Amino acid sequence: MGNNKKVLVVDDEAHIRRVIEVKLKKHGYQVITAINGKEGLNLIITQKPDVVISDIMMPEMDGEALCKKTNSLKKERSFLTIILTCRISSDEESWTADMQDTLFIEKPFSPSMLVECIDQYFGGSSK
Amino acid sequence: MNVSPFKQFLSSLSQISRWHFEVWHADRTVFSSNANRSKLPICRDIREIAIKAISNGTFQYACSQGNYELFGTPIKNGEKVIGALISYAQICAKESEIVGIVSPKNSHAEKMEEFLFDMLRLMEDKWTTENEMEEITEELTRRFEDIYLYSNIATRIKSLRFSSSMLKDLVGELLGAMRTELAFAKLPTRRDFDTIITKKEIDNKILQPAAFVDALIDAIPKKAVTFKDNYFMIADSEKTPRFEALYPKSFRFLAVKIIHKEDFYGWLGLVSLNPEEIFRRSELKLMSSVAEQLAMVIANTTMYDDLECFVINVVKSLVYAIEAKDEYTRGHSERVNRYAMLMATRLQLDQTQSKSLHWASMLHDIGKIGIPETILNKPRTLTHSEYKIIKSHSEKGCDILKPLKQLSPSLPGVLHHHERYDGQGYPLGLKAEDIPMLGRIIAVADTFDAITSDRAYRPGKTEKEALEIMENLAGTQLDPKLVDVFNEVLKEDLGEVQNDK
Repeated sequence: MGNNKKVLVVDDEAHIRRVIEVKLKKHGYQVITAINGKEGLNLIITQKPDVVISDIMMPEMDGEALCKKTNSLKKERSFLTIILTCRISSDEESWTADMQDTLFIEKPFSPSMLVECIDQYFGGSSK
Repeated sequence: MNVSPFKQFLSSLSQISRWHFEVWHADRTVFSSNANRSKLPICRDIREIAIKAISNGTFQYACSQGNYELFGTPIKNGEKVIGALISYAQICAKESEIVGIVSPKNSHAEKMEEFLFDMLRLMEDKWTTENEMEEITEELTRRFEDIYLYSNIATRIKSLRFSSSMLKDLVGELLGAMRTELAFAKLPTRRDFDTIITKKEIDNKILQPAAFVDALIDAIPKKAVTFKDNYFMIADSEKTPRFEALYPKSFRFLAVKIIHKEDFYGWLGLVSLNPEEIFRRSELKLMSSVAEQLAMVIANTTMYDDLECFVINVVKSLVYAIEAKDEYTRGHSERVNRYAMLMATRLQLDQTQSKSLHWASMLHDIGKIGIPETILNKPRTLTHSEYKIIKSHSEKGCDILKPLKQLSPSLPGVLHHHERYDGQGYPLGLKAEDIPMLGRIIAVADTFDAITSDRAYRPGKTEKEALEIMENLAGTQLDPKLVDVFNEVLKEDLGEVQNDK
């Protein structure tokens, strides 16, 4: 049940942040949120989350830029990045080729499957 | 009761006034603005007034030792009292010392009551909003799951033809998404497609899911009001006649008709053994829409199969029409087809190739329909121009079949079944592996049948003789590897499997 791991949710849409936040909290995760990549990046540096869930299309700094900026951070401290995407396009495949610990989840996504994915990353199941 | 949004507010309020606040939930304090509260002489009084406010549900006022003034206001959730807000302060001798919103000058019970009620209303509003927000989030989460399921099922149904594996996937998906213990698709006219999937943990509870599902379907009344919306649902089996004896415990059951226009194909259903879970409207909607789409897929598949069958039968009757003209070639197409399919099995052709070969071998001579009977049945040697006409039948056959899209993969077999391995054949004079596989296979089967069949001018040879002749044609007229394959399968077919080692 989460083991109090910290998850950062980066999405400009409030309802998506809310759904993920509540679902993850119910499963014992600590959740922090950001409304764009810029805010997200700050929180990644200051709060050191164990998982980053990010949308792609966002104002200020989008998910792609956030991923590229945080990939170098992973050399010092590994964490899981989950990208929420509308469709896995060849364009996305090209820039994610050398990203570490990065996972794609297609929208529309299932909140319970998202939690399962994270549980699995930490080597446990949700049960 | 979530007081966290008010901690800050109540703490600030107590800092700028001399008033302290407590929130009580049932019989205990869940918040106190006074850190030194336990040292107060009025602990018992606070408790007393809190319990009073909660049990009476009315505003309480008291003065106690040490000149303390105490107020208790019930906190309600609708009509139900769930706690109390307590405020207390020591009444000062000097009125001027008092700062803040709550002035002791007006510290009459009425004033305090008014203030506390206002504050409580704010708190209650906030609590209601929070509760609503939580419900909305929960509903939103369910919607997320629904949408995910919809899109998943939609792509699944769209991308696949109706098959038992598709049905299995679909029913499995429903079981997972609907928080039920059993999901099924039951098709009375296609029993081989029946699919029942259960959660592992209940396998031993319902010993025979298949019999259980049969009993459920039997128990559905012949007439139900909800049939106009194509579903049937029971919320509690123990209170429903015909269902109460089917299972030792209460269960819920939902079945949706798989129906397209007037055609009823069967039922798509769910069984839940958990009394806590009820079927929601959105789940019923989803099930209905899945059943609708499924019915459409079944209808389309059936229509497609019918159409294919129809086309094939029309074409087959064409074959019979040609063969009817000539008693010597009667049954030729079917025999060639049989030989070709024997080879296909040995060559381990995949399903698509096999199907193409099936139709190509069946229809390879269809072009003869355009050849005058006088030439076709001529017992004597053909003239050069007559032979040219005969040779045109492979191309003619190809032309005849071209408009039938379903047969396009078979066309190379028809067009090239008279090519020769050495390149001396027709119509294109292709050589060896350049000749499409289908053409080469049919050539072998066709040659064998020609040698073994009676002709107007000679009787047919025996199979053994024919195989010997074909050995000699291997490499010139026929593909030697395929002649070997044919040799093997025919000998096996004739029951003469030779263990030559």
